[in-house]
Amino acid sequence: MSHARIVASGVAVALLCASGVALAGKLPLGEPSRAVTEEILDAIAEEMNRSMTQLQIPGAPKPYHISYKITEVEVNDAAASLGSTTSRRQRHFVNLEARVRVGNPDLDNGNFVLPSDDGIDGVAGINLPLEATPRIARRAAWLATDTAYKEALIQLRAKMDARQAGGVGRTDIPSWTSHAPSVNEAVVLVPRLETLPEIEARAQRLSAGFRGQLHIRDSRVAITSYLERRWYLSTEGTSITDTRRASGIVVAASGQADDNQELNQYFLRYGRTAADLPSDAELTAEAKRLSATLLELAKAPVIEAYSGPVLFEGEGAVGIIRSALAPHLGGTPLPEGLPPQQAKQHGGAFSDTVGLRVLAPGLTLVDDPTAATGAGKALIGGYRIDDEGTPSQRVEVVRDGKLVSLLQSRTPSGRGASSNGHARRTADGGAFRGSATNLFVNAKGGVARKALLGKLLATVKAEGLPYGLIVRRFDDSAITAAPERSRRELVQLVKSSDIDLPPPALLAYRVYPGGKQELVRGVQLAEVPIRAWKDVMATSTEQTVYNFLAANEQWLELVIRGTDDGFVPSGGIESSIITPDLLFKEIDVVPSTLGQRPKPRIASPILK
Amino acid sequence: MHRLPNPGALVALTGLLACGGGGPKPPETLPLPEPAETVTLPEIAAVIKTSTSAPQEGHDPAAASPLLGIMSKEVSRWTSQLAAGSDPLYYLAYQLVEQRQIVLEAEGGALTTDSDDTARNLDVEVRVGSPGLDNTRPLSTEERGLNDPLTRRGVVPFGEDPQAIGNALWLETDRRYREAVQALAYVRQDQSTLSRKTQVPDFARSQPETYYERPATLVVDKAGWVQRLKRCSAAALRGAATRGSCRVQLELNTAWFVNSEGSKIQQSWTTAQLAVSVGVKADDGQGLSRLEQRFGRTASDLPSDADIDQIIKTVSDDLDALHDAPLGEPYVGPAILEGRAAGVFFHEVFGHRIEGHRQKDDTGGQTFAAMGQKQIAPSWLSVYDNPTLQTINGMQVNGFYRFDDEGVRARHVPLIDKGKLVGFLMGRNPIEGFDDSNGHGRRSPGLPPVSRQGNLVVEASRSVERSALEQMLIEEIKKQDRPFGMVFTDISGGFTNTSAFAPQAFKVNPVMAYRLYPDGRRVLVRGIDLSGTPLVALQSIRAASREVETFNGICGAESGWVPVSASAPSLLLEKLEIEKSFVPPDRPPLLSPPPSIGAVAPARAAKETRR
Repeated sequence: MSHARIVASGVAVALLCASGVALAGKLPLGEPSRAVTEEILDAIAEEMNRSMTQLQIPGAPKPYHISYKITEVEVNDAAASLGSTTSRRQRHFVNLEARVRVGNPDLDNGNFVLPSDDGIDGVAGINLPLEATPRIARRAAWLATDTAYKEALIQLRAKMDARQAGGVGRTDIPSWTSHAPSVNEAVVLVPRLETLPEIEARAQRLSAGFRGQLHIRDSRVAITSYLERRWYLSTEGTSITDTRRASGIVVAASGQADDNQELNQYFLRYGRTAADLPSDAELTAEAKRLSATLLELAKAPVIEAYSGPVLFEGEGAVGIIRSALAPHLGGTPLPEGLPPQQAKQHGGAFSDTVGLRVLAPGLTLVDDPTAATGAGKALIGGYRIDDEGTPSQRVEVVRDGKLVSLLQSRTPSGRGASSNGHARRTADGGAFRGSATNLFVNAKGGVARKALLGKLLATVKAEGLPYGLIVRRFDDSAITAAPERSRRELVQLVKSSDIDLPPPALLAYRVYPGGKQELVRGVQLAEVPIRAWKDVMATSTEQTVYNFLAANEQWLELVIRGTDDGFVPSGGIESSIITPDLLFKEIDVVPSTLGQRPKPRIASPILK
Repeated sequence: MHRLPNPGALVALTGLLACGGGGPKPPETLPLPEPAETVTLPEIAAVIKTSTSAPQEGHDPAAASPLLGIMSKEVSRWTSQLAAGSDPLYYLAYQLVEQRQIVLEAEGGALTTDSDDTARNLDVEVRVGSPGLDNTRPLSTEERGLNDPLTRRGVVPFGEDPQAIGNALWLETDRRYREAVQALAYVRQDQSTLSRKTQVPDFARSQPETYYERPATLVVDKAGWVQRLKRCSAAALRGAATRGSCRVQLELNTAWFVNSEGSKIQQSWTTAQLAVSVGVKADDGQGLSRLEQRFGRTASDLPSDADIDQIIKTVSDDLDALHDAPLGEPYVGPAILEGRAAGVFFHEVFGHRIEGHRQKDDTGGQTFAAMGQKQIAPSWLSVYDNPTLQTINGMQVNGFYRFDDEGVRARHVPLIDKGKLVGFLMGRNPIEGFDDSNGHGRRSPGLPPVSRQGNLVVEASRSVERSALEQMLIEEIKKQDRPFGMVFTDISGGFTNTSAFAPQAFKVNPVMAYRLYPDGRRVLVRGIDLSGTPLVALQSIRAASREVETFNGICGAESGWVPVSASAPSLLLEKLEIEKSFVPPDRPPLLSPPPSIGAVAPARAAKETRR
């Protein structure tokens, strides 16, 4: 289908995928889909139209909106330890997801959690063939739409009953916002995936760097390369496609401290292709740094309780934004019917503060899914269309410390609100929630990293503290969750963990007035209150660009499950944070002794 | 009780509570009523011809992998240093399984799955204490679940690099040893507070075995299979069917086993499986399905295209018939279980209850624990399990293996001899009067082994022709003055409760169930289950057919999915109870199926509509 024809249709939004533009000239592009072709879209559209006009249980409301998301995923994964492959996998699948809305935009079934079954949400999925077969695609749409419609009716009925009983919060907000149809069927070609033999050989080569190191219990290098093609169709007339592409690498190792506490370190990088990842030489150097850090951590002291200034440097700044700020930037109302204790995980601390100061003056937050690069590096959080088929938009969230707008999906935060193309994460109740994509933290008056350290020390001195604290990396349990625990150790971990706290800090240093830095262990931040962001004292001029996949699961869930085959996570939401270092005035820290286990009774066989 | 997912046709649901210690001496049991043998059957045995493979057949000393040496070395390092002390490591075993699995599946003529994955899994068994009392002894308290080992996929590298593999073995052994020592402390504390303690040990030692099989090779004509599956599934998806799929799964498995008794075993084999599955929703919402599976050692053992056509015809005809069939009603009366259905019936109702570890479980019903040498079935009926069988009546059987997952040689085990209970299926978990394993400790990778079935065979020393059996059913209907009897030709699976906290009942799910009227009419019904209690059911058997059929399948229980077979003649039962099964309160799709592709509007029109 030609680009001109899209424009001629009069409703087209001609957006070119950033990744395609940025990379098309540099790397050979892959093939278009053989599973989802125009004929497939036509067949599904036929069924969509038939359902829209004919699907109805007598006496019950008809659908007023039907949409489909078709997703094709190709993944190559490999992981290796000590030079030998531990896991390799090649996946290719195609899914169709049907969403049906009943009622009307003011009150429909969406964003409501049934007390009896949170799986009833007006959404149904089904597999599609790996090669274009219109007959089967249409049958799949027929079955999925039917299921989604029946669920939507149950959900609407329960939602109305719950509202009648009261206690569900605000009911004056519409359920759904209309949006101009988006049409752009121009295929987005992305660079071909790195092949499985290529990434397997690389993982083997790099993982061999950990051989013969007695202080390391376990280690691995894992590499992924994947793409996700998406197509959206809706009864509003939207027909749009997009392709996301990413590659990632993890270098991870574990050890044990002299006092028996487990130690984990990792190095994680994502880019849009392997060309965005560090070179073998850089990764080898990182592996050596990890190994040296583990050796140093084994003898490092456990921090004592601390309350004072904390400098979040590099990945540390990314980590504190990821866990304590980004979750609050979404404007989607909490699902009705969700118990208050579960609602906490959806953030929402800023929901009634538009126009108010929420960050320190001088700090500006911009979320820009249209950006392909940040500070000169490739970003993976961008897209052409969000998970509801809405074109992406740059959104200024905070200007000079004041909240300007929140990240919105089509489930509005208030009357008159509309999506700004940030529907990304689903929650119970079936609604997509507005979430961060490429999040830029811009700061006025930044100083060089060295000067920022000076500010930390000056604060320490002014407050009469013996030392200050620098956090350079937080744990990412999607990577470090070790399958090494016994049942009772795992139970103890679960019982003694507070899921509302940020993940433990993996790299933290006490910095003394003379400038000496001392590596410490067991650094667990207490709950970071949202008001702490008003007290960011200073920032650096240096920017850190970090790509990651935001897992849908809470971190403790990942710990319990362990690392699934040791692969690089490829199942979360592509995200990027671009930030300076952040100096907070006061953060509370508690020592953590989690992860104790007896030393091995028999020495590692590597000794021999 | 816990329901396990159903990947295939044969499903067992078993009590999943951990084993418990029994009393010092089982109480005297009352004799069972003698099974009534009201009919004199001809002294002609049902026809069973088998072939076996000698235990050491295929052994090739030159085929041993260096992996066995790496595993042995690590076993020695641990056992030599920790065999003494307060928590002696008295047994250590490694099993490493590498599995390549190719899955191709097509739905309605289109390929939907195309995967080719290889994974290695390490299982470590650590026992500390002594065989008389070790870390695996179940606790008597609520904490019993906490003392179970935490099993999960044991990641171990591919290849034969001593450092990479040695490190993985060491890490997992360290975890399991730590866990075992901790568990033993709880066991000892628990035992010290009990007034009633079993003298039955926790572990059965076994002879060391050495067997090295040459690595098997997997030959796959992928392009050919893709075409065959497309053709097959296109034919399978018809009319109002909501599913019509054909699937082939080809596997190459290699298992290396080493233990501290000195065993070193390397086995390598391929498997092939074809499944044709069709489904539809009845007008009242009941999901109806027909699944036919065929198993073989290699892809060449699977059905030809002509045979597949016949399978499709069978499942499609059955599905059409089920779609139109009325719902059955609760009923008690005489019934015939046809060959394969009788095999599944025995597997569920008898086989799972004869698994040794269940006789030891305080929380288990122990239906057969004290029935040794008691007459539990007609004197002309015998049952055994023999994993060394390769074929039965010329058909390859699924439950063949040489050594079980605990390194013990598989053995023929008589279970019922001329109606009397004589044996149990044993792994390395002894029970009263049965000290040793008979090679039935099985698991899927990542789970602790327990005793499981292999090839279960029901023999009848007296039998009648199949047609005569149906005539006997009609006579029985008349004799009991019942309006009809039942004939079951296919059972998809079921479950049997072995927990003492619930009735010792079974429930199996027939797929094809017919009412047989005295005038010979057959009427298919749906929406029913078979239920009952095992002792009554066995005593209710009145006659067997001469023809024996074999059901191949995959059985699920607490130690995972294992391939099994069940062979039996058709059986006449004096009484079987039928219950209504759960029919979900759902509706079939509101709209009729979309028109076939030929009826889809031209592409351009479709695009316009799409906008």
